[in-house]
Amino acid sequence: MSGRKKSLLKVIILGDSSVGKTSLMNQYVNKRFSNQYKATIGADFCTKEVVVNDRVVTMQIWDTAGQERFQSLGVAFYRGADCCVLVYDVTAPNSFKNLDSWRDEFLIQASPRDPEHFPFVVLGNKVDLDNRQVSTRRAQQWCQSKNDIPYYETSAKEGINVEMAFQVIAKNALELEAEAEVINDFPDQITLGSQNNRPGNPDNCQC
Amino acid sequence: MVQGNADGSDYKERLIASVKKEVKQLMEEAVTKKYVHEESSSVTSLCGAVEACLSQGLRRRALGLFKTSSTTALLHKIAKSCPEAEHISKLVQEIEASDPSKRSSSSSDSFQRPPMLKKSSSNSMSTGANAAATSSSASGSASASISVSASTSNMSLASMKYLWIRLALYEKRLTKIIEYLVGNASSFYDRDSLVADPDYGSILSSLLVGPCALDFTRAKTADHYWTDPHADELVQRHRISSCRRSSSTCSRPAIINFKRSLNTSSDEAGTGSFKSIASASVAKDYVESLHQNAKATLLYGKNNVQVLPKDVAEPMPGYLSLHQHIQTLTIKWTPNQLMNGYTEAEEADDIDKDTFWAYALNINVDEIVYVHCHQSRGEDSGGTVILVGQDGVQRPPIHFPEGGHMQQFLSCLETGLLPHGQLDPPLWSQRGIGKMFLWPRSMRRRILPSVMESVDETPIDYVFRIVSKSRHEEFAATHSILDFVRSTPRRAQLSSCSTTGSSDCSNKSLSIDQFPLESPLLLQQQQQQQLLQAQSTSIEMVCSTMRRQIISRAFYGWLAYCRHLSTVRTHLSGLVHGRITPEMKADEEGLTKERWQLLNVDGVLENATEFYRLVYFGGVQPELRQEVWPYLLGHYAFGSTAEDRRKQDETCKHYYETTMSEWLAVDAIVQQREKEKTARAVAKLSSGSNSGNERTVRAADLEAGGELENEVFEDISDISDPGDLEFDEQQQQQQQQQQQAECVVSGNHLSVKPIPRAMKTSTDSGHVDEGEGFNEMDEPDEEEHNAKQQQDQMHPESEDQVEYRKLEDPLNPEPSCSASTASSYETVGPGDVHQRPTSDTRSVLSPEYLSADDLQLPDDEDAVKPPPPAAAAVIITKASVDISNWERSPKAAEGDQMSPLEEQAGESGGAGVNMDALQQPKSACASPASSNGGVYTSELLEQFGLNLHRIEKDVQRCDRNYWYFANENLDKLRNVISTYVWEHLDVGYMQGMCDLVAPLLVIFDDESLSYSCFCKLMERMIENFPSGGAMDMHFANMRSLIQILDSEMYDLMDSNGDYTHFYFCYRWFLLDFKRELVYDDVFATWEVIWAAKHIASGHFVLFLALALLETYRDIILSNSMDFTDVIKFFNEMAERHNAQSVLQLARSLVLQLQMIIENK
Repeated sequence: MSGRKKSLLKVIILGDSSVGKTSLMNQYVNKRFSNQYKATIGADFCTKEVVVNDRVVTMQIWDTAGQERFQSLGVAFYRGADCCVLVYDVTAPNSFKNLDSWRDEFLIQASPRDPEHFPFVVLGNKVDLDNRQVSTRRAQQWCQSKNDIPYYETSAKEGINVEMAFQVIAKNALELEAEAEVINDFPDQITLGSQNNRPGNPDNCQC
Repeated sequence: MVQGNADGSDYKERLIASVKKEVKQLMEEAVTKKYVHEESSSVTSLCGAVEACLSQGLRRRALGLFKTSSTTALLHKIAKSCPEAEHISKLVQEIEASDPSKRSSSSSDSFQRPPMLKKSSSNSMSTGANAAATSSSASGSASASISVSASTSNMSLASMKYLWIRLALYEKRLTKIIEYLVGNASSFYDRDSLVADPDYGSILSSLLVGPCALDFTRAKTADHYWTDPHADELVQRHRISSCRRSSSTCSRPAIINFKRSLNTSSDEAGTGSFKSIASASVAKDYVESLHQNAKATLLYGKNNVQVLPKDVAEPMPGYLSLHQHIQTLTIKWTPNQLMNGYTEAEEADDIDKDTFWAYALNINVDEIVYVHCHQSRGEDSGGTVILVGQDGVQRPPIHFPEGGHMQQFLSCLETGLLPHGQLDPPLWSQRGIGKMFLWPRSMRRRILPSVMESVDETPIDYVFRIVSKSRHEEFAATHSILDFVRSTPRRAQLSSCSTTGSSDCSNKSLSIDQFPLESPLLLQQQQQQQLLQAQSTSIEMVCSTMRRQIISRAFYGWLAYCRHLSTVRTHLSGLVHGRITPEMKADEEGLTKERWQLLNVDGVLENATEFYRLVYFGGVQPELRQEVWPYLLGHYAFGSTAEDRRKQDETCKHYYETTMSEWLAVDAIVQQREKEKTARAVAKLSSGSNSGNERTVRAADLEAGGELENEVFEDISDISDPGDLEFDEQQQQQQQQQQQAECVVSGNHLSVKPIPRAMKTSTDSGHVDEGEGFNEMDEPDEEEHNAKQQQDQMHPESEDQVEYRKLEDPLNPEPSCSASTASSYETVGPGDVHQRPTSDTRSVLSPEYLSADDLQLPDDEDAVKPPPPAAAAVIITKASVDISNWERSPKAAEGDQMSPLEEQAGESGGAGVNMDALQQPKSACASPASSNGGVYTSELLEQFGLNLHRIEKDVQRCDRNYWYFANENLDKLRNVISTYVWEHLDVGYMQGMCDLVAPLLVIFDDESLSYSCFCKLMERMIENFPSGGAMDMHFANMRSLIQILDSEMYDLMDSNGDYTHFYFCYRWFLLDFKRELVYDDVFATWEVIWAAKHIASGHFVLFLALALLETYRDIILSNSMDFTDVIKFFNEMAERHNAQSVLQLARSLVLQLQMIIENK
């Protein structure tokens, strides 16, 4: 199981527009904050090598457009995700409320193998601002109700908790991988078996 | 390996053409069946064609001593330096090692093949044998199992032919190997060989790209065999050839002994695909099947008809016959060699005989869809008929000798098709299609005398379609009767025919329209025959039904594919204009000032074509853009005078202002609600009760306040929430400090209208801060509110309007003007609002008052106000009314309308004009607001509020590093977008609109003009947004374009399957490349896109996208980038492209496609 190492972790960042998805990604990958980011159109991604559990893995972090209208576009990117990061803005209650629909939408579109245990991480961004409107308690309650999603409060601007949050993201994604490998081995063999049946005896087929 | 110098290139052309044909056939097969069988005859044919190409001009010396001209040797030779070849070479050797018996056939060159496989047609014969084996074993007959064993060796032989090419094809490495050969042609090929030819060589390798992408299968399914084009035919050929010894009885091609034929005819007529052939003397039966017999009626017979079988240089003469069976019509052609003196042939000739058997044709007309007829113009030199099957495969051409034989054949064919089918168009239709034929003068039976006229004008090539009028199944039930009826006259024909006897007499074609002469003997025979038939009928019916179903399915698949191809072609031709506009002369530089002045005769621009042409090829001089763009966007009409345009602008401005005033009113309310909500949220957060049920809290508050519930202002009561107080006090202190700081407006305040952007907070916290500040002020405000208002103090009221006043004051010394735009929308409201008593100061702006007022139902508002319980509506006019009242001069307030639109301030419009503007929409305005006289539903407020919120967020983020938007111009951007969204609430704001407005605003620096042009622009762009379908269309078009214009790129994309959705182009199309280029390049690109619509292509963006892709194609290809790589690459390349070269490339791509379509 450990012999087969997957080196690429696909992480999708979702959340309402202007909650700071692009900023979080760039803060994590480039250790930079800029207030010059424009609204993301389409999708972009960054890659970063991280060491998790003594393994070097490449994280491919996908940043998507925030307006829900563009969700249909994101579908292509959701597939094969190893972890989904839900971001909201602690100063915008609506962005928090919409976490539900982002999560649901992701589960529908990405249709992961085990939706119940698919690794999500919730980030409450912009904690550097002083006009906070969503309390930590409320966010934690929500996360608990959704199968104990890890919750972090971050500031992409100040770089608060960003590194740590993504470490957890990588770790959780990797755990999913490990589980997936266990699950994966079984159907693989089935498939091989059925393939063997077919080409092996072409002449026996009398139809 | 013919290499005459003169016809060298001609020969090469033919070789390539044959490869092309085979590739096409193979690809079609792949599409029709979703897979291709490894032993499909089309694979063999393709391999043969490739082999022929590769052997042409091969320098045998270069290959060593032993394998004189084998391409297999060539493969082994290049294996040392070409990894693909090495792989294949290894495979070949493995196979040879595992079965030495195959060695001879696999490694031998074309001259050393076993006789059986000398020609490719004989090869396909063995493939067919394989098919036969399976089908026969299904039927379970004894002889079939013999065939299985017999065919097994044949099968392996067949698959051994062209072994290495075959393997390379299966392994998908053939292209690479041939590319290598082409690249190193000098060391293996003669200089004038095909492979060494710069054009043909690369054509050859690129032709094979498609087949190399196919997956081949060995799996056998019924479907495979029944859709394989030649299966039936090959089955029979194989059987005949394997039993040829017994076919000694046939010596004459002519119909000489019909009696004998009748007596000996078995229950098979030589064509039934499922029927087992029990007789050992199949060849005999075959030949007999050429004759008239009980089952098959001979409709036509002609000797010395020439056919050019595959791989034979010279057409061969043979006997052509047309037979009618119960349900089918069969065309047979047998080489003369088999017809004449067969028994006398020496043993040595047996090999040849085999091949001749292979050449024989046996075509079931059911499988033929098209009949192509070719005639030489002006002279009667016979004609050529080519039959094209359902699978698109052409049967070998049948060349008729002169004398109108082709026409007779066709007429017999048409007769034979009746009643189930017919030729389309009919040969002798009244519509004059019959004219098509050039009938020989010598013809005795002239069907349409008129066709003789104007010989030179007659077209010489025709294509007929064979259509089935009805399903055969319908006839199956009654076939024996039909057969009886139909066969009866034929007996009669026969007798007449046999009297003519001679084999070259063909103009006496047999057709059913002759009258029967029934003889008792014949009738007897027939009855017997029918009894026999009845037994086999049921099985036959089942089989033929199955077969037809399978064939029809395959046929429809193929048909769908053909339609798809033609759609693609039509589609692509729809992407560009057919007319090619000449490019600019060398000295032209696009639309320069001088040119513009020349075009602009007396301020009227007439020559649209020239205008577009200049812009398309050379762009617009930057200084002219402001003037030129409205034309390009269709805002100004060509031929309009300066006066027209001025009027148009004015109208637009009025409209814009009116619309804006409408949404600003809503904006005010929305902002108010927003603040209240925010305040409540903050309050709850701070009081720690935020997790409680908001609804309940609110309801309780409302009850406490003793007010009726009003949805819109539901939150107001929260303000009195005791929890707020503490919090508010802190905020109040802050607020006061700000005030002391002599700042006109606190940085945190967000207002409805143009507060200079610089003063506005650039963080997302804007709303919230404001809300807090606002809330905190509410309570202190209440007591002194009226006084403050009337005194026009600079007190820190929280109301937006008051902020306005503060803002405007420095600019506008007259205090009354401070009401600003927020107050002006009242004029669109119901007239009675104007008459509101001035004394009603109570309702000024404060939400508490506003709502309270609503609830108290002032009399003068009854008309426009919904009953209180409805509660879901708000009167928006009130606040502004109060302001105007408070300003004591409604007129002044209207005059103020101008202030937010500073850029127009210079105009003389004045109050009167603005008055017009404001009044106009009362009747004409289409906005959702105007219809209900300023009463907005809660949903509308909700919806627009959400949109405004989004707009605000995106506007703040839009190009803030570009100089133009470094200041209050961002407000203009917001206004334009908000106005558009207000007018198109069903569409709503979508991310990306900002990017589309921004360049327009930069160029025009005028809100209303930008708005009008943006509306024009959005007509095209709106479809790109998620609500429209254009994006998918763009992707599909891109796919087709790349397929046609850059196959190499296409292959890469295809191999990385996920490319196909082209999401890396998403932003390009959505924003017209706005994010890909720097501003100056965006301008240049946009104007070319707009002009291109009229000059070259309405889909110029596609070509731009393609040009962008092509610019980096080498990078993409050499790194063999996958989907994600490409996205990343282009995201990183954003704003670093060389726009001019991309534009040039795009224009040339348009031209390229225009050429392709024109030359088609």
